[in-house]
Amino acid sequence: MQTSKQAYPFRWRVMDAVENTASAVWPSRFSRGLPYLMLLPAALLVLLLVIGMIQIAESSAHRLDRSTFLPSEDYTGANYSQIFSTGLYWTVLWRSLLGSVVVTALCLVFAFPYSYLMVRTSSPLLRKFLLIALFLPFFIGQVVRAYGWLIILGNQGVANGLLGLVGIEPVRLLYNYPAVLFGLVQYMLPFAVLMLAPALAAIPEELESAANSLGASWWRTFTHIVLPLAKPGLVGAGLVVLTLSLTDFAMPAILGGGSQDFIANAIYDQFFRTSDQGMGAALTLILVGIGSLAVGLVFTLFGAGTLAMGRDRK
Amino acid sequence: MTKTTSILALTRRRFLGGAAALSGLAATGWTGKAFAQEPEKPAEIIVRAWGGSWVAALQAGVSDPFTAATGIAVRHDLTEDNEIQPKVWAAVAQGRVPPIHINWDTTTNATKSALRGVTEDLSDLPNLANTTELAKPVGLEGYPIVNTYGYVYVLAYRPSAFPDGAPTSLQVLLDPKFKGRIALYNDGIGFHFPAQVAGGGSLEDIPGNMEPAWEFIRKVKAQEPLLGEDPDFTTWFQNGEIDLAVTISTNAREAMKNGIDLAWTVPEEGSKFETDGLWIPKGLPANELYWAKQYINFALTVEAQQVWLDGLGLPGVVPGVTPPEGLAGDPSYPTEPADFERLIRVPTAVQVEHESDWFGQFKAIMQG
Repeated sequence: MQTSKQAYPFRWRVMDAVENTASAVWPSRFSRGLPYLMLLPAALLVLLLVIGMIQIAESSAHRLDRSTFLPSEDYTGANYSQIFSTGLYWTVLWRSLLGSVVVTALCLVFAFPYSYLMVRTSSPLLRKFLLIALFLPFFIGQVVRAYGWLIILGNQGVANGLLGLVGIEPVRLLYNYPAVLFGLVQYMLPFAVLMLAPALAAIPEELESAANSLGASWWRTFTHIVLPLAKPGLVGAGLVVLTLSLTDFAMPAILGGGSQDFIANAIYDQFFRTSDQGMGAALTLILVGIGSLAVGLVFTLFGAGTLAMGRDRK
Repeated sequence: MTKTTSILALTRRRFLGGAAALSGLAATGWTGKAFAQEPEKPAEIIVRAWGGSWVAALQAGVSDPFTAATGIAVRHDLTEDNEIQPKVWAAVAQGRVPPIHINWDTTTNATKSALRGVTEDLSDLPNLANTTELAKPVGLEGYPIVNTYGYVYVLAYRPSAFPDGAPTSLQVLLDPKFKGRIALYNDGIGFHFPAQVAGGGSLEDIPGNMEPAWEFIRKVKAQEPLLGEDPDFTTWFQNGEIDLAVTISTNAREAMKNGIDLAWTVPEEGSKFETDGLWIPKGLPANELYWAKQYINFALTVEAQQVWLDGLGLPGVVPGVTPPEGLAGDPSYPTEPADFERLIRVPTAVQVEHESDWFGQFKAIMQG
């Protein structure tokens, strides 16, 4: 016959104690609130963000007094007036918005076949290769990658070296708008693939087989089966690439040669180059506004994509 | 503003400088014994500095000898001057101890901090008595900043691109053969005033009418210049991207030392002359403030200036400093009144008030 000590080991007692403590702290009748409790850290982070935005909004309503380099006491919309009446800011805003749309479109076009091949290939070796090629850039920061392009695309870089082999004089490949877009596409492509691949993997391969067996061409299968079912992934990937491109700083700064600023570069200039925090804050809010409007537009036109979290499922 | 050039090994110079500075400390009666009666020493003081050869020169000329004499370690914070500024301003506004003891800063930036009221007064530094007029910030009460040297935004060029000799005028920037092969600072700093002259305007019209400058800059814009910071200039010269740049002479000198085929000149339109200085933010504990002041006081000795500015290749504010080899008589190393005739100096107060507008106008042209 076992002793009571053997029948009820010490570790069980410890677990009982932990359970009792947990029950005392969070009684079972509160169990419905557990999901909300788990939301608390995220909610706090969002709250901090909101507080920061409120402070930025407050700061944007003060002009810089250049006799004291302090913000003015009175509230004013002068910073916004100046932004909207200055051609420079319109140029930068338009360049950022156009650039992010172009980069998003190109990334989706390039990411789709990459993702499709990655999830559909029957070759484990090819899948591993594609995965490694996808993740390798993540180990290299954006700034380092941009400087890598300086080396490759410079006047004395590899690209111009190859052109020289066929007798072509060095071409200025850097420090222009296409160079910035090129750098952004290369940087954003893995994000797009990562967002798109799960959506493509969720499409049953049998659907494509069925379409084929019913006589549908490859193109018809693609446009009527794959593309519609991949829409949530395309929307999710598009949103991520669009917002990251819109707010990018490093690529325009490094590959733009100083003449292809995006909004983030203009914000940096105001905060750190001219010490005008009010103007920097106003530009920040405008950037947030444009980003939110762009996301809202995508939601309206195409739905929330993978961000809908299954609400459309029946 | 970035001031970074390649890191040079200044070991020998540092050693010699340290020895010379120590003897200088002793000569000025600034010895360990003298410190026995001084306030408590902090373990370290933090000096914000520009990286590369800039900080190497400061370390050799000022920081190491200061540490040798006082036992106080000097840590160099290489945060950009523009980026440390809001941090210091925020610390002072919130009553916190600032993140640095001493800011090595451009005089224009430092003046903004002085106007904001975040700088300590340095009028009581004994060695100020031995400095030239250049050390005194113009238009400010007392010494919220001490200017420590001057520098020139020269026209640096690749000699191989000028077989007939050095360029003499900024009009060379408009030569079609240099299209896409010229570089300026990305806010145009150092170029606005010479451009005013090159555009047919007058320096007396600054800041009221700078349209000649903007008109000239519009023409330069058509030449598709590269815009960047100091490290970019070095890279671009090294990679054969550019033949001409308006940059600080120190950077051109360091690039040349690194083996880049480079020379510089002051064009007939003139070059901008500017100063840098040292200042102490408010909010330091009393003993740390005292030792920070001693650091700046030491930076104003002949011995410290000799080594520090030998590394930078710049003229100081203490009489008796010998020019580095090859720079005596160089237009980028003005020491006599006649040397300043081709250099452009605009009052700091005017620059502080209008610099943002000039940066904005330059950007508006270049980003368009």
